[in-house]
Amino acid sequence: MTSTSPEHSPLVALRDVNKTFGDIVAVHGLTANIERCTSTALIGGNGAGKTTLLRLLAGVYRPTTGTAQFADGDMTQHRRRIGVMTESTGLHLRLTAWENIRFHARLFGMQDERSREKSESLAVQLGLGGALDRRTEGFSRGMRQKTALIRALVHEPELLLLDEPTAGLDITSARAVRALIETLVDEGRGVVWSTHDLRAARVCERVMVMHNARLVADGRVDDLLAEHNSDTLESLYMELTSEATPEFQAGMEVVP
Amino acid sequence: MNAQKRILAIAQRELLDFVRDWRTILTMVLVPLLLFPLLFIGLPLVIGGEAQELAATEVEVLIRGDDVPEDLIRNIENRSVIVTLGEPVEDRGVDDAAVRNGSLDLVMHWDDNGGVYDVHFRHLSTSSLSTDARQRALLAVSEWEESERNRRVTEAGLNASSTLDPVRLDPTSEDLASQGEVQGWLLSSFIPLIVTVWVVTSAIQPAIDMTAGERERGSMEALLCAPARRWELLAGKWAAVSTIVLVGVLLQLGGLMFALTFLAGPSLLSAPDVGLGAILLLSAAIFAYSVMVVASELALAIRSKSVKEAGALLAPASLAVIVPALVVQFINLDGVEAFWFAVPVVNVLLAMRELLLNDVDPMHTVIWLSTTLVYTGAALWYAQRQFNREDLVLSPS
Repeated sequence: MTSTSPEHSPLVALRDVNKTFGDIVAVHGLTANIERCTSTALIGGNGAGKTTLLRLLAGVYRPTTGTAQFADGDMTQHRRRIGVMTESTGLHLRLTAWENIRFHARLFGMQDERSREKSESLAVQLGLGGALDRRTEGFSRGMRQKTALIRALVHEPELLLLDEPTAGLDITSARAVRALIETLVDEGRGVVWSTHDLRAARVCERVMVMHNARLVADGRVDDLLAEHNSDTLESLYMELTSEATPEFQAGMEVVP
Repeated sequence: MNAQKRILAIAQRELLDFVRDWRTILTMVLVPLLLFPLLFIGLPLVIGGEAQELAATEVEVLIRGDDVPEDLIRNIENRSVIVTLGEPVEDRGVDDAAVRNGSLDLVMHWDDNGGVYDVHFRHLSTSSLSTDARQRALLAVSEWEESERNRRVTEAGLNASSTLDPVRLDPTSEDLASQGEVQGWLLSSFIPLIVTVWVVTSAIQPAIDMTAGERERGSMEALLCAPARRWELLAGKWAAVSTIVLVGVLLQLGGLMFALTFLAGPSLLSAPDVGLGAILLLSAAIFAYSVMVVASELALAIRSKSVKEAGALLAPASLAVIVPALVVQFINLDGVEAFWFAVPVVNVLLAMRELLLNDVDPMHTVIWLSTTLVYTGAALWYAQRQFNREDLVLSPS
């Protein structure tokens, strides 16, 4: 399993977490720690339980059984310590990028001056400088992704939950996002990155593989590759999900 | 940051998002503001113009009968009628066909039965010209009948005026209601209906946009990840929708008062006689009613997974308010039973009618105020339950 060095101390502890929706089991018996100073790739096919796990971490869902808590307290009381970027971005298109960000920053109790300053700094890093005061309805998908990322980061969360953050981004923008995430990890934050893209997953220190609502692998990428005698993340993934149907595997984008 | 500030932030963002759409400004501001001025100017102009045009149009009438009085024919002709005289016939099929195809507007049969005249019209009620031709002929016949009646009474040696009109209304008879009271009575016949319908219909679009719309666009999930409690989300959204609705009501009432004061006839110039207490209670009634309706619509809309589903749910649901609102117009306020003031929706509407008549009945007030608070509380409780549902964000994947 994962390292427990001080800089990788547990941030969130998931203990035997089950989440069901009626007869549907979305997450089953999941136990893991989300660590500081670590970028974690959460991979799995469609319906594997990735989004449900992110929502459990974000406090949007409560576990049916088990616990999902910050190492120092109850998850639901610490939502302000988490930043979330949802797959759909969830922007209000008639508002400007800044108005979208400011609204969320206000909910987090930030003063407008401080959030503006922080937003401008992040916008420059992500190549969105000058577009903060434009309405987001005219934005490309990539610009919307970046705006949503700034919104998730503006209150300086300890844990960042990202659902497909580089989907739709060009190569330069995707690289800028990855660089920003590396910086955040270096600053001591934890990052969980849900993705179908195994190339993106490869840049994370740690990988969590979900399959049929279960966590089937969790560890450092190199350790997992050695443990399973695999050369690539793709072959590792295929081995871990070998009983999966072709339709299930079709949901994954693999390294050629 | 306290809950109040979060609620304010949510309401501000919702309102900003809402007013950024020019179509919103059009429907939520201009329409209520201009509706009544347009009704008071445009409608009379259209109706008056159409009536003038119709009156100036010549119609063709065929009169069949023997010895039709000359003065009656002249009276009919003086009303822009082209009269053709014909012999009585047994078969009316040809004449009927002519009326149906528009070559004739009316056929009038005149039959003298020994000093008593039978008049029979054949017209087409779906044709404006035919209907108007019948009306013109009826007026002419009525005038001729009055003249003939007077002639016969006089010939019998009687005074036509005192014989035919023995009871007369004194023209100095007085209405003891003041002009302001009459104004209040007039307003009470349609302000509650307008407010009711406007609150229900104007809340639908923003309520859907801020709930099902947010779910559909994916912005609800981002909102739920923020450190705002669910009841704070409800409160913020409720405040935004209520603001939109109440601004619309105020604009509409402002437009109405402008139209009544400056555009309507002189009989409606005065302001209604409504005391301060009644005005305050009236405001409370509108406010409580709006809270209840907006909370109910938000609750129903948040249950829906899409804007389309919410629209399909809320449009028919609004009839649950509009139908009682129409019924209330026919409830007689004199001696009205107290239980009406406990019936949901009906209670507030009746209260509005009563208050516009400056009638503050303590028992009625206690009943409608307390029951409305109960219903409003129930609506808010239900909305809160809906906002606490975990499946506000779906797709268990």
